[in-house]
Amino acid sequence: MPDLATFQLAFASAMGGSRTRGTLEGQPGFAVYRNTTPVALAETLRANYPVVAELIGDALFAETAFEYARHHPANDPVLLGYGPAFPAFLAEQEWIADLPYLPDVAAIERLRTEAHMAADAPALDFADLARLGTEHWQNLRLRPHPAARIAWLSTPALTIWRAHHETPDFETLAPDWRAEGVLVSRPAGVLQVLELNAPAHRLICGLRLGETAGQASAATASTYPESDIASAFATLVNAGALARPQSLERN
Amino acid sequence: MTPTAGLGFKPIFIDEAIAAPAAGLWFEIHPENYMVDGGPRLAMLRALREARPLSFHGVGLSLAGAAEPDRAHLARLKRLVDEYRPMLVSEHLAWSREGTTCFPDLLPFPRTLEALLRIARNIDIVQNALGRQILIENPSLYVQLDGHDFAETDFLRQLVRKTGCRLLVDVNNVAVSANNLGFDPYRYLDALPADAIGEIHLAGHRPDPEHGDALLIDSHDAPVSEQVWALYDDLLDRIGPVPTLIERDGNLPPFAELMEERERAAALMRTPRKQVRYA
Repeated sequence: MPDLATFQLAFASAMGGSRTRGTLEGQPGFAVYRNTTPVALAETLRANYPVVAELIGDALFAETAFEYARHHPANDPVLLGYGPAFPAFLAEQEWIADLPYLPDVAAIERLRTEAHMAADAPALDFADLARLGTEHWQNLRLRPHPAARIAWLSTPALTIWRAHHETPDFETLAPDWRAEGVLVSRPAGVLQVLELNAPAHRLICGLRLGETAGQASAATASTYPESDIASAFATLVNAGALARPQSLERN
Repeated sequence: MTPTAGLGFKPIFIDEAIAAPAAGLWFEIHPENYMVDGGPRLAMLRALREARPLSFHGVGLSLAGAAEPDRAHLARLKRLVDEYRPMLVSEHLAWSREGTTCFPDLLPFPRTLEALLRIARNIDIVQNALGRQILIENPSLYVQLDGHDFAETDFLRQLVRKTGCRLLVDVNNVAVSANNLGFDPYRYLDALPADAIGEIHLAGHRPDPEHGDALLIDSHDAPVSEQVWALYDDLLDRIGPVPTLIERDGNLPPFAELMEERERAAALMRTPRKQVRYA
């Protein structure tokens, strides 16, 4: 009898193979083991990328998900975050030329998965800002909330995602072909997806890189002279996208 | 509250689960589904825990693997156990990790002396890390393996003796394995050490679409079968009432229907047993 480690290695390799003879693989029940892992991984991908599944249909989604699972076995027994490379994997598929927005739709779904699992932390709110004078907040180093995710997508993927996620009638959808900014956050514990305009996107990117509120505002105003910085800032605060700095912790 | 019969928890039932008035009701969760840094999942678990006792039924420790349990995974489990204080913590007599690859499955192994020693070591590691006893669940089996040195019931008995762990007896797994491998499920249940059984699972199975009743699948997507109810009743005759869980993962019926199944288990637990045979 081989030792346990040798047995496991052989069993794992038999699950990945297609041999049907041999005392193990020849048994009808071996197919149960062979199928369970790819089916579970594909189901996890379907749960994590429901709009992608809706956009390409069950058959193509299943085929693509099985292929992804073959190339990307799970390396964590926690499957909640399985499939981080799925958007990039979609972009490599031959048929993707017909659906150029699909990797970006997948990227939005990935941001939601990450935001859903992220740590809790108090969010900066308007009461915090009211307690600070303008001078003080200019010097604040604000950081994005742990559950905030941002992206700048080169396709109208957010409009497409929203049409599928929020309103089932998407037959008439004809989005303007333009880039869209996305902010995923978790105000009051509930996942929210917002469109972020270019100034608001520039603002939170600056904060994320360590600019003070004053520096980020000035840089945004200089890049987008027409922009309303106060309104961009309010968008971020309303979305709970900024963490409350420790210096503002209320007792 | 004395826990009686419980239900496998499903997030879509959170409101009904919290509002359910049944005496002794408890819920079982897979801790892997709550290993996140924060957010709505943990908020839901907190709310559930405030309402009812919980049982943690792990699927990721790969106790029957040649390698020791993954320390990072064990640390995540310990954080959850420490915070949510489940009444029971259980895992499977199976492996699910080979090298860096994790299989979302519960895989079989030859029950050799070497396997016994490795698994006993792995259970020790887990019990020491958590600072508490765990329960080990008998698996559903689909293939005949060569090279067993122990019957499964003897293997479980040895693990109990060596590690002080207890047993979670999944009666549906017994029925499924007995059917697929050709043994007598009553004799199997009779051979288990009665005083080590700390929890019972009841679930539904279905025939394999290709091979029919010759190959039953532990699918958790159907009501508990009458055969499993009969085995359960017989087991309670021998060991008396033990916290019992109804597991349902697929084809979910309304919550009320699951509660009816759960009430059937609770009623069997309440039934006076004339001859409780200890041993």
